[in-house]
Order: sequence, then structure tokens, then C-alpha cells
Amino acid sequence: MIASIDYVEVGVAFCLVAAALACLFDRHLKRASSLFLLFALLMSLSWWLFDAPGLALAELVLGLTLTGGSFFYALNAFPATAEKVPHYDRSLHRWSHKVVRAVLALAWSVMIGGAIWFLLPDMAYSPTEHPLIIAAVVIVATAMGAFALHRHMLRRLMAFNVLGSGVFLLLAGMAGTMPGSQALISVGLTIAWLGTLLGVLLIRQLVSLEGLLALESDSDATGHAQ
Amino acid sequence: MIWRFGLYESTFEPQWYSHWALLAILVLPIFIGLLGAFFTPRRLFPVALACLPILLAGALLIVDYLQVGLLRWQWDIAGVELSLRFNGLSGLMLMITQWVGTAAAMYTPGHLQLTNPGKHARWLWPLMGVLISALSLIWLAVDLLTLYAALELMGLAAVGMLLLSGKPDALKAGMRYLLLALVGSLAYLLGVALLLGYWGELDLKSLVEVVEPSPVSWVAAALIGAGLALKAALFPLHGWLTPVHENAWTPVSALHAALVIKASLFMLIMLWGILLPDALFAPRLVAWLGMLAIVWGGLIAWRAESLKTLVASSTVGQLGYLMVAFPLLLGSAVSPLPGALAWEGFWLQLMGHSLAKAAMFMAVGNLIIATGESSIKGLAGTSRRLPLSLLIFGIASVTLMGLPPSAGFTAKWLLLQAMVMTQQWVAVAALLIGTLLTAAYVFRVFRYSFDETAPRHQYQPLAPGMDLIALCLALAAFALGLLAHLPLALLQGGGA
Amino acid sequence: MNAAWLPLTTLAVSLVAAGVIFLLPEDARRLRTSINLLAAVSKIILVTLMVGRVSQGFEDTFSFQIVGGVEFVLRADALGVMFAGLSSLLWLCTTIYAIGYLEGAANRKRFFGFFSLCVASTLGIALAGNLFTFLIFYEMLTLSTYPLVVHSGTAKALAAGRVYLRYTLTGGVVLLLGVVLLYSLTGDHSFASERGLSPYLNDHRGLLTLIFALLVGGLAVKAAMVPLHGWLPRAMVAPAPVSALLHAVAVVKAGAFGILRVIYDLYGIELSVALGVTTVLAIAASITIIYGSLRAIAQQELKPRLAFSTISQVSYVILGVSLFGPFGTIGALAHLLHQGLMKVTLFFCAGNYAEELGIHRIDEMDGAGKRMPLTSLAFTVGALGMIGLPPIAGFITKWYLGVGAIQAQRYWVVAVLVASSTLNAIYFLPVLHRLWFREGPAHGKGEWPNEQCLGRMETHGWLLWPAVFTAVVSLGAGLLAGLPFSPLDWATRVAVGEYLP
Repeated sequence: MIASIDYVEVGVAFCLVAAALACLFDRHLKRASSLFLLFALLMSLSWWLFDAPGLALAELVLGLTLTGGSFFYALNAFPATAEKVPHYDRSLHRWSHKVVRAVLALAWSVMIGGAIWFLLPDMAYSPTEHPLIIAAVVIVATAMGAFALHRHMLRRLMAFNVLGSGVFLLLAGMAGTMPGSQALISVGLTIAWLGTLLGVLLIRQLVSLEGLLALESDSDATGHAQ
Repeated sequence: MIWRFGLYESTFEPQWYSHWALLAILVLPIFIGLLGAFFTPRRLFPVALACLPILLAGALLIVDYLQVGLLRWQWDIAGVELSLRFNGLSGLMLMITQWVGTAAAMYTPGHLQLTNPGKHARWLWPLMGVLISALSLIWLAVDLLTLYAALELMGLAAVGMLLLSGKPDALKAGMRYLLLALVGSLAYLLGVALLLGYWGELDLKSLVEVVEPSPVSWVAAALIGAGLALKAALFPLHGWLTPVHENAWTPVSALHAALVIKASLFMLIMLWGILLPDALFAPRLVAWLGMLAIVWGGLIAWRAESLKTLVASSTVGQLGYLMVAFPLLLGSAVSPLPGALAWEGFWLQLMGHSLAKAAMFMAVGNLIIATGESSIKGLAGTSRRLPLSLLIFGIASVTLMGLPPSAGFTAKWLLLQAMVMTQQWVAVAALLIGTLLTAAYVFRVFRYSFDETAPRHQYQPLAPGMDLIALCLALAAFALGLLAHLPLALLQGGGA
Repeated sequence: MNAAWLPLTTLAVSLVAAGVIFLLPEDARRLRTSINLLAAVSKIILVTLMVGRVSQGFEDTFSFQIVGGVEFVLRADALGVMFAGLSSLLWLCTTIYAIGYLEGAANRKRFFGFFSLCVASTLGIALAGNLFTFLIFYEMLTLSTYPLVVHSGTAKALAAGRVYLRYTLTGGVVLLLGVVLLYSLTGDHSFASERGLSPYLNDHRGLLTLIFALLVGGLAVKAAMVPLHGWLPRAMVAPAPVSALLHAVAVVKAGAFGILRVIYDLYGIELSVALGVTTVLAIAASITIIYGSLRAIAQQELKPRLAFSTISQVSYVILGVSLFGPFGTIGALAHLLHQGLMKVTLFFCAGNYAEELGIHRIDEMDGAGKRMPLTSLAFTVGALGMIGLPPIAGFITKWYLGVGAIQAQRYWVVAVLVASSTLNAIYFLPVLHRLWFREGPAHGKGEWPNEQCLGRMETHGWLLWPAVFTAVVSLGAGLLAGLPFSPLDWATRVAVGEYLP
């Protein structure tokens, strides 16, 4: 009985990681947005597995419908003249840039992983019992790296959303689904949606003012969390 | 730390009117802001009139605090405990928020009239209302959930306000700010998750009783610290600050520099006080970064070409003064007297900077509107035509330089005394060098403005009251410096 | 009975005047002039009242708390009132002079506003009852003189302003550090306290010496002691009334006055001697005196020559203090007043020559005595006083200093005094010779550089009478030195009443 649930969890966790990775590193923006919808659906499923139907519903409404919808709303804004390069992030990065980001993400995951290891000692003995937490750590680390790596605003926004979902999962995994953590996650979901909406409005405004290239010119971001 | 932040049970119930006053300070700003969106004020007086009840409510709360002592409210909503408290520190911060907010609001009609930004400008009012409400909530909240929600609300409102100017540069800077602020709050949330997972408490009063030094609290403090430092633009995470201010409207910049970044700092010091009661290393690190910030912020402000960059960069350096005080605020190794001095100096510096920075942004905004030039070189010859705006800039910069008789000086005095007592000579040197660096970039502005050889150009006349409001703020910083013991008495606790 | 309102009102008069002047529009010339004069006159009346109160033995004190353990104190004591009297008297003269000098010039509102602020700061320095209050007004003085120094807005003036700020702000920071160190050692320490700092001598000798060095080092910048004098000659680009104010009353004297306060009221003269700092100070002052005089000789222009003369003369005050004896003390205190009177006369005259005849260089002054007899007479009085000829005020101080040096058995100081007087004569007598005994444009030889007939008399009345008045007062201060309330009498009262070792 327990084992069967485990398999479901492992499966969901695996799918989550896969969807997150695909969503984060797909340069085709429309496809990435669709993948984000899939990711949100899986998130909703994992909330269900956490015995938090309220959160599952909130994820469906806020994450899947509203946030996902916002991405497509942003994509619609891109002018038809750019049909040749349909919604595609073509920016290239130097190797050093990538390596630095990868190290950053690794450091992050080590730090988070260490904290969790201390927090949930049984993780050390039977890591497979918490597949979702492991998935969350991987997602957080990758999303962090992707957030620092990407220059395209929409992709950064997406990376933020994936990162947020990973953090919520971690929160639920570490603190359980007591009312307090549910409330935190609901507030977080709302904020993520509002932030995404604000960002999307901003992107549309920017595209209408300066064209598509403006989205990639944010080249001198100096500060990153950590 | 428990006592300083009012994390204890109150002895007496609040008076009946305090509940209404609480409601008023939290809800009225939003309500009035919405009203402002539909009936856009064109003059200063309706704005002042609308702000009056909020100010009165704030004053009422302080009166009640002086009579009763700590005020506390607690609600249980669906198993989640939300709690607020009102102590002297909250009162001081609330007062600064409300008065600077009122000044910015009163400044806005004139500014909008002169810059003529278009119809969407009316959304500034509700955003401003939300911002003030969220800030008030941050000063009052003592549970991690309310703090999180208020922080986010404030951040989103601030981003919204910064974007209103609608220029592509503003949008880009705003987007970067938005993303960083959101990621910063996720770091905060992760820290909260660790705390919640390990100790199962969201309420700070309960948390402070159970928390003990352990890797979890360190990692949580690091996460929360990183997230909040990013939002507070603490060196070296300040990169987003200058471009954001460069393109924002004057009242928005004033509010942002004066209040928004301070809120994150406030939370940072409160949460670190709880999580790292005996820490040595982290506050030292912050202090070293603060020294670098003083020097670095001063240098980039010195090299700045545009006025707004100068004022925004000076914020980086000024935050450095606050960071330098960290080892004296946190940790049990500090002896009581320097600790108390530094505690007072810290908040005095914060308040003085809020007033002066708001005044300075307004003065600079006035200069830019009047001359039509945003570079420092464009000021040539303004001392003849715009003496009042320049004078306000000067008075505000006296506070920033930390010269008497300003709040900046009194605060610096307290901090210096505390540092001398604890023999932190490097910090003393940093503070003194900061004065000289600040003087260097401030007087650079004056050097251009006193230039009499410049050609004259047409100056745009300012709307009534624009200079006066800024002058009042700048002089308030002076009054705060000379009568510092009155506000600081609030910090010591009032009432029974 | 404590009349707390008296020091406060005296201070407030010029602060309010400054505020009102800033609020008036630029072209409200008459109103501004009346306010200026009204404020200056009422200030003199108030200071006279204070002199009366102090001579009856009252020390009116006004104070309020700033933060815990630090108070803002204004106290009218004998030393403070002496400086306040000097500044208020010379403020009136300088205001009248400035009104005439800036006739028709631009930015007069700014000038007079900051002028009033500057005098308010000077008065605050005079009446400050503790080091914290002193510091407040000391820094205020720095800030309020900057716009005056750069008033003309030329590149040279702006550069001079930059140098001025570099020196004075750095000095202020050093002073602040010293004050903070002292406060963390001893707490709030009133100037009126009798104890001095001697209780701390045994345990904190090194620290006390360090604090003394910081305090005096910071103050010496404004007092223009060598090698911290660099700003003063450069600041000569300012208009003549500003130069007069900077040199005779406000800035330089504020530094010297601060050193007096530190030595007499804070440390106590015995403690200073015990620390051995007075000898160092005496040597530094002597070097400054000689160096300033030597540099003055080398100057070809009138105002820089006067500037270096100031550097040299102000250090007489420091020298007198460090002699550690009644006569030295009296000489120092009296010189604070005498030098102010004489130097302000000289600067007024220099300004008159520049305005009326366009004279800036010394070799242009040939025969100016015939063209401008009253101005030249005033100049002569000032110059002879500087050299130390009787019966002008300067003689009194040099006499007392000399006697003090002999009493203290420091004969090298006498040598310094003689040398300095000789040097003074070397740089002033040629000027006087040119004024009176050379033939120049007034005798039909050549032309004045830029002659303007500003008034019915030799120059504009607003310019002439202040110079004549101060010259008469410096003559009177010497002739009538024995009368009560003369500068010498007051200096003796201060020295005997409070400081006599």
C-alpha cells in the first residue's frame, strides 16, 4: 500500500523535474509556456498527494489558469512581423557565464540540501521516501541557475515561477501542510501570479515601445540573490 | 531584542479607539487612494485634507501607547494566527511613513500638473495608498505570514509605481527590480519554510522562545538576510537601485528611497535579532560590507553625471552607515551602554535619512523640472534663479553629510560614541570618511550651480507648494536632530 | 536669576534675520537693508545687556536636551561675551560696508542671508556652553561661509571654495573625532565646570594628549596655523566684506577662540601645562608667526599680503595662551579683540582702494593718500597697530605678551615677538610709504587702474565710514585701555576672574 503511493510520488516527482527542466531550457517560448502549464498541472497533482486539496485547487486557478494564461497573453503581444523567428530566444552566452551560473546553482542546492538534511534527519537514511522534496531541491537549484543565466525577460519570469513552485514544494515538504504553511503557500501563489501579471504587462508595453530586442537587452544585471 | 521589538505580552488592553485607529491606518490609505484614482486631485489641499484622518489615527495610536504601553492584537483565522503589536519603534516608523507619505502625496498634484504624463497617472494614487498601508502593516506585524504578505504587497505596489512613468528605460529597470524583488522574497520564504519546518511557529513571540542557535537557524537567517538585503539594496546587492530611481517620478523616488527599502531593513534587523541572538560573524560581515558601501556609494555618487543618479547612489552609502552599526545591535557580547547608543543612533539615522532623502529627491525633481536638464552640469547658474530649491538640496544634504544641527549628525554622534566605546576604529574611520565623501559629491552640485558664467535659459515655474513641502521635510530632519530625545524616548518604551 | 532668553534671543536675532532675508525677493533692497541694520543694532544692544549681566556676576544659561547625556547649552560667560561683543560690533560695521560694497551687484539676497547665518554661527560659537554645542556652530560656520567664498561664481572663486571646504571639513571631522573620544571618556563636560579634566590625568594621559591633539588640530585649520593655512590666502577671491569677516571675526577667530576654550575651559591651563602640550603649541605658534610674516613680505598684491599677515597675527593669541602666565593670558585675550578691529580696518581699506581706484597690487598704490585721505589714514592706523606702535591697540597686546614671556622665562618668545614686529614693519611700512610719500596719479603721474567716483567724498559713504569707525575704535582701544569695559579691561577681567593660574 505504502509502496504503491511511493511509486506514484516518485513518478510525479520525476515528471515534475522533467517538466521543469524542459520548461526552463526550451528556447521556443510558446512550447516553454505550454510546458509550464504541464508543470503547473503536475504541481497541482503533487498538492493532492500532500493531502492539501485546497492548495491543489489554488494551484489550478492561480498557477495553471492565471499565471499560465498570463504567459500566453504576453506571447500574443509579439508582433506578427517577427514570424520568421516565432517566439524564440536566440541570445547566446559565453561559457564562463554559464559555468558561473552553474556553480551558483550548485552552491544553492548544497546549502538548501544541507539545511534539509539537518531538518529531516530520516532523509539521510531513506532519501527515496521523500521524492518530492528531492525533486523540489533539484527544481529550485535549476531554476535559480536558469534565472541567473537567461536574459530574455519572459524566460526569467518563467524561471521565477518554477523557482517559486519549487520553494512552495520545499515548504510543504519540510513544514507539512499545517494551516500556517498552507496560508503561506496561498499568499505566495497569489503574489507569484500578481508579479507575473505585472511583468507580463510590462513586457507587452516594452515590446510595443521598442520591439522584441528590448527583451534581451537586460545584460548588466549586477545583483542576484546570493 | 524581545523587549526592543515588543515581542512580549501586553499588560493592558488597548483603548476602544485604538481598534478604530488601527483599522484606519491600515485601510484608509487604500480607500483614499482608490478615491484619488476616480476623483483625481489637481491641488494640494484636498490631498492634505484626505491625509488628515490617517495622520490623526496614527497620532491616536501613539497616544494610546504612551498611556497603556505595548498594544497587541491577535486573530485566529482558519487555524492561522495573525498578530500585530504597536510599540514605540512601530510608532516612530509609522509616524515617519505617514508624514513622508503625506508630503509625497501633497507634492504629487503639482508634479503631475507640470510633467503631464497622461491618463494612467491616476493609478499612482491607489498604488500609493497600498504602499502606505503595506508599510504600516510591516511596522506592526509580528508573524512571519503577515510580514510576508505585507512585504510582497509593498514590493508590488512599489514596482507598479516605478513603472508608471512608462519610459522604456524605466520599464527595463522596473522589470529587473520586479524579478529581483520576487526572487528575494522567495529566498525569504524559503527561510521561513525552514523555521516553520523545524520549530513549527510563525508567530514571532512564540518563535523567540523556542529558537536556538543551530545550523537551521543560521541557514534560515542567511536566506532571509539575503532576500531582504536584496530588497533593501544593501551593498553589494544594490545594482538595481540607481536605474530604478533614474527614471521614476519624483514623489515615487522619494517614497521608495525614504520608506520602501527601510522596511526590508527593519524586517532584517528584527528577524536577525531573533534568529541570531549571539551571532558574531554575520553582523561583522554586514558591517564590513557597510564600510565598503559607504566608500563605494560615495565614489559612484561623486562620479555621477546625472542628478538623480547622484541622489540614488548616495542612498547606497547612507545604508552603509546603518549596516556598520549591525555588530552593535545584534549579539549579546555588546555591553549595554554602547548597545543602547547604537540602537538609538541606528533608528535616528534611518529616520533622518528618510526625511532628508525624500526632501532631496523633491528638491532635485524641482530643479530638473525647472531647468529641464537632468545632468549636474545643467545646473550651471541655477543659484541665481532657483535659490530655494538649491537651499533645500543643501539643507537635506547637511543631514546626509552628518553635519550639525541635523538628525544625521546626532545619529552619527551616537553611533560614533558607541563605536569608540567598543573600540571599532575601522568603523569610526568609515563613518568619518563617509562625511567627507558625501561632502565631496554634494558640493560638486553646488560648484556647478554657483557658476555665474553659464548662459541663461528659460526656467519653468514650479507649482505652489512644491518647494515648501520639500523645505518642511528638510527642516524636519533638522528638528529631529535637535530634539532627538523626544522620538528616542518612544524607543525606550512608554506608558505603564 | 537666570535670564535664559538673553543668549537665545541674541542668537535668534541673526537666525531670524537670515530666514527673513531668504524669504524676501531679490529686489526688495530697502527692506533687506533695514532688516540687516535692525538685526545688527538689536544684536549690539542685546550683547551690551549681556555684558552688563556678566559684569554683575550672572551667567545666563539656556539649555535643552538633545539626546541622553548630551545637552545643547548657550551660556553667556565673560570669555564668550567678549567674543560675542567683538562679532556683533564688527557685524554692524561689515554689514554697512557690505551694503555699500555690493551696491548693484547680483545675488545680494543669497549673500546677506548667508552672511547673517555666518554671524549667527559665530555668536553660537561664542556662547556655546559645551563642546557639543560648540561643534554644532563650528560646522554651521563652515557651511555658511562657503557660499560667501564662492560668491562671485568665477572659476577661481569656485576653486578657492573647494580648497576651503577640503581644509575646513577635514578639520571638522578631526575635531568631531576628538569630541567624540572626549565624550566617551568623560561624558558631557560643561565649559563652566571648575574641575577641568585633571581627574583623568593619571589613568588616561596618552588618551588626553591624543584628544588634545585632535581637538586643537581640528581647530587649527580654521585658525590657519602653519601648515594648515593653505585655504586662507586662496579664499581672498571673495568680496572684501567677506574677507574682512573671515579674517577679523568669524572663521579664523572661531578657530583661535576654540583653542582658547579647549585650553582654559576644558582642559584647564594647569593640565595643559602638565601634559606638556603648551610648549608644542607655543613652538607651532611661533613658527606660524614667523612664516606668515615672511610669506607676507613676498606678496605683491594687497589682499594676499593682508591674508598672510592674518595667519601670523592670529597665532599671537595662541602664543599668549601657551605662555602660562597672567600677562600672556591677558595679551592673548586682548589680541583676539584688537587684531579683529585692526584687521577689519585694513580689509575695509583694501576694499575701498579696489572699488574706488581699482587698486589690487601694492605698486599701484603710489600717492593714494592724497586721493583718499581718510581711507589712507585708517589704513595707516591699522598698519601701525599691526606693527605694534603705541598708542594703537596692537601695542598693548605686544607689550603684555612680551611681559608674559619674560615672566614665564621664555626669552625666545621675546625674540619671536621682536622678529615678528620687524617683519611686520618690513611689509607694512613700504605700503605706507607708497601711500603718503610717493607721487602717483593723484599728483598727475600716470592713471589709476580703474577709477570710479562712487560718492561725493573720496568714495561711497557706506564704504568709508565703517573703515574710519573701526580705525578710530582701534586707536581708542589703545589710548583708553585703562578705562572700564575697554578690550584690555575686559580681557583682564576674564583672565583674573576665571583663568588665572
